[in-house]
Amino acid sequence: MSNQPSPDAGFPEVPAAAVKTRRSRFSLVWVVPVVAALIGGWLVVKAFTEKGPQVTITFKSAEGLEAGKTRVKFKDVEIGLVEEIRIGDDASHVVVKSQLIKEAERFISENTRFWVVRARVSASAIYGLGTVFSGAYIDIDPGKPGKPARSFAGLEEPPVVTTGLPGRHFILESERRGSLEIGAPIYYRQIRAGEVVAYNLSEDGTKIISKVFVNAPYHQFVRNSTRFWSASGVDLKLDATGITLETESLVSILVGGIAFDSIDGDSEREKEAPEDSAFKLFPSHEAAKQKIYSAKNHFVLFFDESVRGLGVGASVEFRGIPIGQVVDIKPEFDLKLNKAKIPVIVAAEPERISFIGQLPDGVTRETIADHLIERGFRAQLRTGNLLTGQLYIALDLFPDAKPARMVRGGRYGYPEFPTIPTQLEEIGSKVTRLVAKIDKIPIEQIGNDLRDTMQGAKRIANSPVLIETVKSLNAAVKELQALTAELRTRTAPEVTATLQQAQRSLSAAESSLAADSPQLYRVKAALDEIAGAARSLRLLTEFLEAHPESLLRGKGSEK
Amino acid sequence: MKKPILTALRAGLIACSVCHLLCHAGPPEATSRALKCPRCGATLHSRKPDSIARTWALVIAACIFYIPANVLPMTTVTSLGMVQSDTIMSGVIYFVQSGSWPIALIIFIASVFVPLLKLGILGYLLVSVQLRSHYRPKDRTRLYLITEAVGRWSMLDIFVVTILVALVNLGALATIQAGPAALHFAAVVVITMVAAMSFDPRLIWDAKEKRHE
Repeated sequence: MSNQPSPDAGFPEVPAAAVKTRRSRFSLVWVVPVVAALIGGWLVVKAFTEKGPQVTITFKSAEGLEAGKTRVKFKDVEIGLVEEIRIGDDASHVVVKSQLIKEAERFISENTRFWVVRARVSASAIYGLGTVFSGAYIDIDPGKPGKPARSFAGLEEPPVVTTGLPGRHFILESERRGSLEIGAPIYYRQIRAGEVVAYNLSEDGTKIISKVFVNAPYHQFVRNSTRFWSASGVDLKLDATGITLETESLVSILVGGIAFDSIDGDSEREKEAPEDSAFKLFPSHEAAKQKIYSAKNHFVLFFDESVRGLGVGASVEFRGIPIGQVVDIKPEFDLKLNKAKIPVIVAAEPERISFIGQLPDGVTRETIADHLIERGFRAQLRTGNLLTGQLYIALDLFPDAKPARMVRGGRYGYPEFPTIPTQLEEIGSKVTRLVAKIDKIPIEQIGNDLRDTMQGAKRIANSPVLIETVKSLNAAVKELQALTAELRTRTAPEVTATLQQAQRSLSAAESSLAADSPQLYRVKAALDEIAGAARSLRLLTEFLEAHPESLLRGKGSEK
Repeated sequence: MKKPILTALRAGLIACSVCHLLCHAGPPEATSRALKCPRCGATLHSRKPDSIARTWALVIAACIFYIPANVLPMTTVTSLGMVQSDTIMSGVIYFVQSGSWPIALIIFIASVFVPLLKLGILGYLLVSVQLRSHYRPKDRTRLYLITEAVGRWSMLDIFVVTILVALVNLGALATIQAGPAALHFAAVVVITMVAAMSFDPRLIWDAKEKRHE
């Protein structure tokens, strides 16, 4: 471009621009905002359509929960987020507001349960260890379908059984809770078959009602006759077969447990127990194994003698088989007769006794007691334990007993069962046995032997040999007497003189050896002299060693 | 009144934007026709074609993308099972609360202030050009220069996220994932840069020249 541009006219050197065919007027750049609007609009629509239900859950404490961070999970799938945590209006709880995803709407209903999953350590298991790092989360159990709801009361403890778990619930009634905890295991033949879901006091406060859940397939083994018993702890039994230690599992020792089994053999034919059937919870396997006797007859027994050693709970036995127990004992004094009587009320289970053969005419199962009493059926106090003096009541047949009848409608409202005093015959027989033993002792023989011995002794005493022996013994004694006299008159003075002489010489020696004696002083002086001589001799030898010539030349003068 | 200065437009001249050849545009009424460079064949434009419309379109698009860029999470940090999603502003607030003022300031300026500033400046320039405003054209040109210069720095946030995603990938221990906001934010930055480029600053001065005629 060599030409300078001129302001006046055109620039002839500048080439004219070529003309190009025109494109469409529409600018494609508008596609950009349209796309942006579409994306933005799609995001907005998505946000609105995917917005699920917002639920509020109340908890006692928001421990581990954090707004904007804590997740809501169902089967470990995240279905929501805690958005807000605030204190409830009455400051007794916290209100957790969570936003759930759209899909959650399908299974959230009034039956839905919410709880916080935190790390939990119990005696039987450790739960939610993962939450130590990831933080707590809210878990849900959808429950049965129901009316839609948006506000819930959260559970403080995770539920033991969640919906959808196959199995059956049962109700157990017991007198004491024992060491049963929620979540305590339930065993069927030592296989873990379920858990304790809940327990609470019955409305009248007399029983503990526990709710248990038995998982499938074990629930089919719970039949109408099945017994449940508390398998807590250790059952140590000592009997004729040795020591038996019985326990279900280590866990049941710690947290308690329940075991169940069918006790009767024909239970296989029985129907499965339906959901929520009630059972009695026996305190031990032993108790569960015992037959249950529903019928209990109360009787009152009057005893004239002391009942020391008979306590409430003492057994009533029929030839060693317990058929009942003592329920109450109370003393009473009849002022008119001036006589004490002790009524003992017992509860007997007559079903325990079975009768063989046809019952007599006019006698039914109910009146059989009267029938038996006519035959001599009586109650008697007996000693059960000789060491402790415990008594029990024995029922037995005493055909020789005085005739008696069952008295109905007495003071205590129970029929009065006739008693028989404790027999003295036993004591009598013991005495007889003792007498018989004494009888057997051969007293005559012993007397004869004794007499023979005496006669032998007499013979020896009167024999001539013995007399002679005594005479010679006398002579020997006389000789001995003469010898001692000589000893006394002659030998003794001489010995005394010798002893006196010895004493004198000993005292002289003692004086010469005393510390201040002149002999000792002189010995000391002589020893000093010897020491001095020895010293000068040593000096001389030293000098001679140094100057051997002095032996020839003499000592020489000192210069 | 000053005498109108000579401009290429008035002189009927046009420079090729590719090979910079100066050529005659023909009579001004003919400028509506499409011209091309006689030397290199590139299309000739006295001004950037449809500058205002294009810039408007891009500014609107950027504004739309700016909303999800700030609402959606930028990063999702998974650390020991804890999942935490952060938007740009929640990150800024986090750094402010933890006392890291300088970092908070950098993030705020690069990711919030600068994109908003650019969109604001472009919007103002567009409106002022369309209204043929004569108000301080020099300052407005300076604003335009700022927009162009500062535009690329907004990508800082995207770079940080991409580096973090690549670096922090320790499996179960800690993982950082880019959220959906990153994509939208990148779109905002790119679109505003293109918008700034499509704006023709000569339009600022054209209003003034037109008045002199």
